Amino acid sequence: MLDSGYDRRQFLGLGAGAAGLFCSLTDASQVTHLSAGDVGRIDAAAAGVRRPKGARRDAVDRLSFQTPQPQPGGQVREYWIQATSATWDPMPTGRDEWMGMRLPRKRFRAFLYQEMTAGFASPKSRPSMPGPTLRAEVGDVIRVHFLNADRRFNQAVTVHSHGVRYNPEYDGAYLGDFTRAGGFIAPGESFTYTWEATPDSVGAWPYHDHGPNHIINVMRGLFGLVIVYPKGAKRPDREFPVYLGSFLPQISGRDDVIHTVNGRAFAGNTPTFRAKVGEDVAFYVIGGNNDFHTWHIHGHRWKGSGGAPVDDPTVGPNETRIARFTEDNPGRWLYHCHVFSHMDRGMAGWYLVEP
Amino acid sequence: MPKTRTFVALATAAAVLVPAAPALAASYPAPGNPGPVAKPRGKPQTLRVCRNRTKVRRKQCFKTIQAAVDKARPNDIVRVAPGTYRESVLVATKNKKGIKLIGDPRRPRRVVLEQKGLRGSFRRFGLDAVRAQNGIQINGADGVTVNGFSTYHYKGNGFFAVNVTGYTLTNLVAARGGTYGIYAFNSKGGTMSNSEAYYNNDSGFYIGQTPPQPGRRLRSTIRNVKAWGNVLGFSGTNARYVTITDSSWYNNGLGIVPNTLTSEKYYPPSDNVITRNRVFWNNYNYFKGAPFRLRAGATGDIPYPIGTGILLFGGRTTQVVGNQVYGNYLIGVGGVQQVIMAGATAKDFPNAAERARVIEASYLRGNTVKDNRFGNGGANPNGRADLFYDGDGSGNCFSGNTAPGGQLAVVPLDGSTFAACPFAGANAFSSAGQGEALVWTVGAPNHNEFWVRKPQQPISGIKPLELCTVRNGACAGQPR
Repeated sequence: MLDSGYDRRQFLGLGAGAAGLFCSLTDASQVTHLSAGDVGRIDAAAAGVRRPKGARRDAVDRLSFQTPQPQPGGQVREYWIQATSATWDPMPTGRDEWMGMRLPRKRFRAFLYQEMTAGFASPKSRPSMPGPTLRAEVGDVIRVHFLNADRRFNQAVTVHSHGVRYNPEYDGAYLGDFTRAGGFIAPGESFTYTWEATPDSVGAWPYHDHGPNHIINVMRGLFGLVIVYPKGAKRPDREFPVYLGSFLPQISGRDDVIHTVNGRAFAGNTPTFRAKVGEDVAFYVIGGNNDFHTWHIHGHRWKGSGGAPVDDPTVGPNETRIARFTEDNPGRWLYHCHVFSHMDRGMAGWYLVEP
Repeated sequence: MPKTRTFVALATAAAVLVPAAPALAASYPAPGNPGPVAKPRGKPQTLRVCRNRTKVRRKQCFKTIQAAVDKARPNDIVRVAPGTYRESVLVATKNKKGIKLIGDPRRPRRVVLEQKGLRGSFRRFGLDAVRAQNGIQINGADGVTVNGFSTYHYKGNGFFAVNVTGYTLTNLVAARGGTYGIYAFNSKGGTMSNSEAYYNNDSGFYIGQTPPQPGRRLRSTIRNVKAWGNVLGFSGTNARYVTITDSSWYNNGLGIVPNTLTSEKYYPPSDNVITRNRVFWNNYNYFKGAPFRLRAGATGDIPYPIGTGILLFGGRTTQVVGNQVYGNYLIGVGGVQQVIMAGATAKDFPNAAERARVIEASYLRGNTVKDNRFGNGGANPNGRADLFYDGDGSGNCFSGNTAPGGQLAVVPLDGSTFAACPFAGANAFSSAGQGEALVWTVGAPNHNEFWVRKPQQPISGIKPLELCTVRNGACAGQPR
């Protein structure tokens, strides 16, 4: 691929500035400037981005780096993950259980991470939003064997993680001419990222595509979650990744913006989380688009980052909030983002607690 | 295996011997309008090949596959009608990039390439003679697909891809080859799938000398294949980034052997994954010459431990995960240092740095053997042991291996070499264990003295090779 070749600058130009527009967005409503045709043109241009030359303009570009190893007592946490495309229906039940409304269904082609068995031999799970959750303890290294298995979009993609430590070789970011190997994984290629779980990595973090067309491809679903635990710490009984995002009409082919939890919209389609009284529960909530959201679970409170009780903390783009508590309140509960326009357009669902 | 690389060298030598074109004359034609820029080609063209060329079809199809290939341009399709083609097809140079040779993907035995009776220029010395070694050879043409053919009796290989990036070899049958059935050498990023290889003098499937790819990689996959009655089911000398999965390896001398040898570049093999395979009854004592007699030299210089399912003979960061391994009379899964390279001398490798590199490559490093099942539901266990490891090298680990309905048998008996996963650091070397493995090979003139034979029963239409009745160099009732 990529024979016809555009560099990034040409690519942005060909996209009629649309990609640049995406970069500057702070409010989803602004993208009404962009048509579905623009997205198609950006995709075509992205498929033509040339492989970076690996320019070495500065001394730092000539640095070479060692692949990190686990700390004593640590281990290698190995994952085989591929990027693939699949049709995706944000409202597969065709119904909003909260308001009792019928919903128009429409599928679109999403770009997704999928966990595979060793050697990419077979699927370990379905392609999903978010992608597979990666777990490690402090002192471990996370080794992600990544394969760009998609031929539909025909674009280079990557895996870029937050929170963990890595050297530039494993940044997984497209940097134009300065891109290192892991920042441009063309269709059919694979690359192994190695990240360290350091003491300051404890927490939950997003990972996502950071290739030449990262903004659109993240909007299509190329994102996931990394959780790093303190060494030997007890893990929660229930862990729930929560990616708050949206599908713009240009991506989903719908007439309107829908707001999503893990790529689904409206109760009955969004995940129904389940727990039992007495269980140690953790929601890992990540802001997955350009908006600020809040995370509200009816009937529950937990300690916020400042130590004070919260029940509706704000989460910004690619920021994480962890809602961890011991479950003590049985029943059917609503969860939702408290930005009303988000809640009203799908960012809500059920949390069921058994006695 | 070392001796069988000779024809590769021959090909190279022959290419070098092709006379150079004369130097261009120093005078140039007068400048003129070079004409419009050629339009890009449209859709790929389909070229047809057929044996029964009626008057109507004569104009529409080529007589030989080679003639169609010679006419094909990049990404064209060559569609071959059922029949027997006595030719040796070469798909070479970048001009043949991406072409697809399509026979009968559902019934590949209907589209036959047969070396017996092959006549014509292929008998000459030089490049043509080398070409005649292979049923279909892809050389330097990236992204070629070969789909739906069978090859028989070629002196070299049934299907051979060399010096390419990207190849698809699928729905093929390769039988009674002089060397390998389906083979990729010095190539990157290919697929071998839905195919069968049997009665080949060396390996049924072979991926060798994979160029190292630091950073981005193109992995290769072997999926849903059957290899039986070969010296080795799979041989992967210095193979890298290969996934072998969902396949059956049975009735070979050994099942799967990604080995380390200095006869090819880029040793040792690394980053391979062997997963979800059935590896059973690999007890074909090819030295006995039955059911068919091997060509001289096919058994190589190294007496492999016949009766082995999967053998790591040196190698790094290979994962052997989730396979079912049973009925192999010597061992199910083994790991042993490449002892020949470990003993590299100054005579063999005068350069001290190279010698050190050879010795280092002899060690097993960072390999994982886990979650494999031994025996077949409590029956048909492996003979001497399910697992063997001499404890050389570092970072090698074994976990979750079970023998459902039976008892997992290991050598060394005390299990001292088997570190649990994950494991870092030096393994516990057992000189006695390594010595025992050597005796299984060099100390066994009949190559079966250390087998522990256990009862075997045919399964789902497959018969253990040693239970078959040999007629005319084949097991009665099985494909010839």
